Amino acid sequence: MKRIAVLITIVFVLSLLVVPLVMAQGKPAPAKEPAKAPAKAAAKPVLSKEPIKIGAIYDFAGPCYMYSETGMLGLRIAVEEINAKGGILGRKIDVVVRDTEAKVDVAVREVKDLLLREKVNFLIGPCSSGTGLAMQVVHSEYKTIRISAIANTEGQTVDKFSPYFFQVVPNTYMEATAATRYLNKKVPAAKKFCTINPDYEFGRREAAAFAEEIKRLVPDAEILYEAWPKFGEKDYTAFITAIMAKKPDAVHSSLFGGDLVAFTKQAAPYGFFEKTPFIALYDLPVLIALGPDAPEGTFAFARGDFFQDPNPKMMAFVDKFKKARGTYPDGWAVMNYDAVYLLKAGIEKAKTIETEAVVKALEGLSIDSLRGTFSIRPLDHMGSVPCYQGTIAKDPAYPFKIWKDITRVPGEQVLRPEASVREIWKKTGVVR
Amino acid sequence: MNLGYQCMSFDVLFNQFMSGIARASLLFLVASGLSLTFGVLRVLNFAHGSLYMLGAFVTYTIWKTLLIPVVGFYVATFLGALVMGGVGIIIEFFLLRRLYARGWPEQLLATYAIVLIITDIVKWGWGGEFLSIPRPKPFTGAVLLFGFPFPSYNFFIILLGLTVVIFLWWLIYKTRFGDIIRAAAHDREMVSALGIPIPWLFTWIFVLGSLIAGLSGAVTAPFGSIALGMDVEIIVECFAVVVIGGMGSLPGTLLGSLIVGQVYAFGIMFKPELALAFIFMVMAAVLIVRPWGIFGRPER
Repeated sequence: MKRIAVLITIVFVLSLLVVPLVMAQGKPAPAKEPAKAPAKAAAKPVLSKEPIKIGAIYDFAGPCYMYSETGMLGLRIAVEEINAKGGILGRKIDVVVRDTEAKVDVAVREVKDLLLREKVNFLIGPCSSGTGLAMQVVHSEYKTIRISAIANTEGQTVDKFSPYFFQVVPNTYMEATAATRYLNKKVPAAKKFCTINPDYEFGRREAAAFAEEIKRLVPDAEILYEAWPKFGEKDYTAFITAIMAKKPDAVHSSLFGGDLVAFTKQAAPYGFFEKTPFIALYDLPVLIALGPDAPEGTFAFARGDFFQDPNPKMMAFVDKFKKARGTYPDGWAVMNYDAVYLLKAGIEKAKTIETEAVVKALEGLSIDSLRGTFSIRPLDHMGSVPCYQGTIAKDPAYPFKIWKDITRVPGEQVLRPEASVREIWKKTGVVR
Repeated sequence: MNLGYQCMSFDVLFNQFMSGIARASLLFLVASGLSLTFGVLRVLNFAHGSLYMLGAFVTYTIWKTLLIPVVGFYVATFLGALVMGGVGIIIEFFLLRRLYARGWPEQLLATYAIVLIITDIVKWGWGGEFLSIPRPKPFTGAVLLFGFPFPSYNFFIILLGLTVVIFLWWLIYKTRFGDIIRAAAHDREMVSALGIPIPWLFTWIFVLGSLIAGLSGAVTAPFGSIALGMDVEIIVECFAVVVIGGMGSLPGTLLGSLIVGQVYAFGIMFKPELALAFIFMVMAAVLIVRPWGIFGRPER
């Protein structure tokens, strides 16, 4: 009997964790009706001096914690720069930060709170594709613009398209397509592939895009085996032996962060990297964490760590970032910096912060970012941002390994074709 | 997908089997501490995974601060485990001690509170970066088993797992302290009536559990990466291990780890989408047939 009691209690405690979060969601934020009247009376002169409020919503938990933190730093540097030069349309920018705890229900609650109580004008975030998809419904309903600089599932721009959503990070389709082309260029003879991807929205999308592109490039390509470790898995031994037993010509992966660090360290003693051409998201934080263990000669893709695009604008940002943090900026900081400047350009073009006008202004808008020039495709609001690939190599200039043979693929080359987007919209019911 | 398993050779299966053994060793290391505290204290320590995580981070910091060549990692692991033992004393003395007489819900809530506290301590002290320690000598490379490489660090983990099994077995079945532990697990009032200070006995058991948690956390640092969230990741599987093997039973924990490790390793090979589900299917099957676990004893 007691044993059953134990089990019931475990279930009880687990549900205790979830229930309050779900319940809190439904609570309406306190209305602030009386406050409205005086604001109206003071009307025009005051309004123009009121700050523009940006709600930064990120996932400060689990594997997303680090990306959220460095992303926020990039965002803050951009905001400080803009404020120092007099803000946007003469108005200062205020940033309100919220944490989703990487939970979908918390994300929905916090976004509602940002919109209703804090009355933010724009949203930037989050890191996880899961929380990103969840909050899209909410801010779209309240007609508030969100820009994503890290979360990149194609679901946000294509399947669940919302006119109030813009993206400055290459989506899963663009990223995996570009990476697949690089892998194919490096090992053109490869026909038999294995894949290993984290088992959630992001990994599933990347794997699907890889399968689509590799069949285009190598018509007789064969995917022998697909491994689906859970997100946050720390022991890849069994996956590694299972993949090596298949003797693939090359392996595609979208493992990232601590997961990729663990995979790499566990695969190295098997001679995996000598035997198998491999591509994964070896970005700056992973290269730093791996230190001497980073496998030279292995292929990598990422989203704009400083060394991948050493243009003058980027190098100026490197100096600022180093002053603030003491380290080099990774792509997560870079993309958040770009997100703020995209918003600035949109508002200045619209000459107002009114949502519909800014949406119109952003469509087709082109900006000179840290990653070169990109523009927002009016069709799906996807930025034609570049994807980067390279080969891990030593560089005496840095205390960590970086890449050589770097390819910068402009977004235009890997955006999903309009016809294909419309085909998906037919299935998902998006009318545009 | 083409499943060409017909021609699966011995070495391929053997390698997968060894992957399973390596995983089982790690699971056993963590689960043995969980099972020990449950067996004697009758407290289901939700925070065991958090002690494991904290142990990993503490070891990393000690390693990074000392930077002793060659033996640095081993020294750091030893000290890290000791620190976690100390944390164990604090938790037992100030919190758990007050909860033995209470019901399951309070114990679970209290240990869950520790989970949240430790998560925030790690967030505050180390941030969200994923940290990693290079593999220590002489376990950097691989050894050849039937002509196929096997990482030598996995051997180190297996050896450590075996050492802990033997040590716990010796402690519980061969020493006077062990006799008292087993007696206390059976009937704590009787043991208390014989003049043995139960509170201190319990403290030492909890310290031992925390030490093992810290030790297992420490050895994962060179194995993979350490990061926030590793606590929750491991505790779920550890519960599967102790439920399958029987809560509070040492041989049960060993068998449970071996089952979970192998089911997972071969699940990954044959049906990767369901590898995790298989573990919990086994757990459900055990719960139906033998609710107290394979080596557990039904409660009175």
